[in-house]
Amino acid sequence: MLDALNSMFEALMDSAYIKSLPFLYEGLKLTLLITIVGLFLGFILGAFTGLGRLSKNGLIRGISTIFVEVVRGTPILVQVLFIYFGISEDLIGVNISGLTAAIIAITINAGAYIAEIVRGAVHSIDKGQYEAGRAVGLTERQTMRYIIWPQAFKRMIPPLGNQFIISLKDTSLFSVIAVGELLYQGRQYYNATFEVFETLVMVCIIYLMITIPTSVILRRIERKLDV
Amino acid sequence: MITVKDLHKSFGNLEVLKGISAEVKESEVVCVIGPSGSGKSTFLRCINLLEDITSGEVTIDQDVINDPKTNINQVRSQVGMVFQHFNLFPHKTVLENITIGPIKVKGMKEEEAKEIALKLLEKVGLSDKADAYPESLSGGQKQRAAIARSLAMEPKVMLFDEPTSALDPELVGDVLEVMKDLAREGMTMVVVTHEMGFAREVGDRVLFMDEGIVMEEGDPQQIFENPQNPRTQEFLSKIL
Repeated sequence: MLDALNSMFEALMDSAYIKSLPFLYEGLKLTLLITIVGLFLGFILGAFTGLGRLSKNGLIRGISTIFVEVVRGTPILVQVLFIYFGISEDLIGVNISGLTAAIIAITINAGAYIAEIVRGAVHSIDKGQYEAGRAVGLTERQTMRYIIWPQAFKRMIPPLGNQFIISLKDTSLFSVIAVGELLYQGRQYYNATFEVFETLVMVCIIYLMITIPTSVILRRIERKLDV
Repeated sequence: MITVKDLHKSFGNLEVLKGISAEVKESEVVCVIGPSGSGKSTFLRCINLLEDITSGEVTIDQDVINDPKTNINQVRSQVGMVFQHFNLFPHKTVLENITIGPIKVKGMKEEEAKEIALKLLEKVGLSDKADAYPESLSGGQKQRAAIARSLAMEPKVMLFDEPTSALDPELVGDVLEVMKDLAREGMTMVVVTHEMGFAREVGDRVLFMDEGIVMEEGDPQQIFENPQNPRTQEFLSKIL
């Protein structure tokens, strides 16, 4: 009995399920790096663009709208090829690393979706809040900063968490430009070992280990915020 | 104190105010009554430029407020506004709701602003609610907190936009009491209201508005007991 368990354990330790892990771990680090840096920059871009879409200035509103529509209307795979090959290599003639291209792609892509999140959240705040702020004597900027934004930001948290999950999964596309993220590392591994099934199972499990806890936490926050 | 000359306001093709002229003297309480849709609230909102003025002139003290050269933030900080739906800031405590104006607009020290806020809360009967969030207050308490928030800016004029219309009947009294106290202290007030009892008792003058103009004005006794304009007569006969 003990011998049987022991040999099963040894077989497992010797299989691709376990042996691929150090490889995949390297990929996970890049996946998280791209997602987190990309989302951080994307939030800044999205905040400006989202507020731009609510601007009274027609030019700012127009530029913001075009940006959002173009990015949301094209596949992220096309976008990253555009950034990596189309613009940097072909048009400008500068080689950027795949990692840089990947971060730019997530920034721009998430930025456009976050712009809509920001716009929706700010728009959902009762107009009376703005009026009360102005009536107290606050400037437009102060009203935005102290009254509208804090309330809107709360409402942004659930959709931002959702965007985190989407962007995390989108990073798998960057294997096409040889960025060593999670899926790319998996492919490298099974190309060498031919243990395709086992490797992809582990790739999925690793994605799920991040996405499932994230959505559980999000649901809790949502319930707490009552939105 | 406030002079309004031939004020017009249109929303697109819809002309809501069709030439209003009125005057409010210092320490005067002017009540604006009239059917809904008559432009009362719009008129009030034009006085602190929450609505852009289409044409005409609004002067507060010596400042023509719809002159582009006038610093509108400064004007607004001297005109308190109380809304029908209170519009308290839900992410701030009652105390913070009151201190934000003095701190951010007047640059007051936090301690000083707090002291003023606590005095005002005592005045409106909410001393024990300083650290509460608006959602835990009743409608009447919210409105009294909102009045305290406006008073913290030490306005020269207070505008009330149907301050008791969103309240349960039994909560109206407390808010009206606070407003009466203010009137007694000599605050200049413009009150859009459906509380005819208040208009009659506290108002120095009553404006009856309908169809975007002031149909009739006079002291409360004259308006309520001996209205001249047929529209005023009709309106009052419906509600009294």
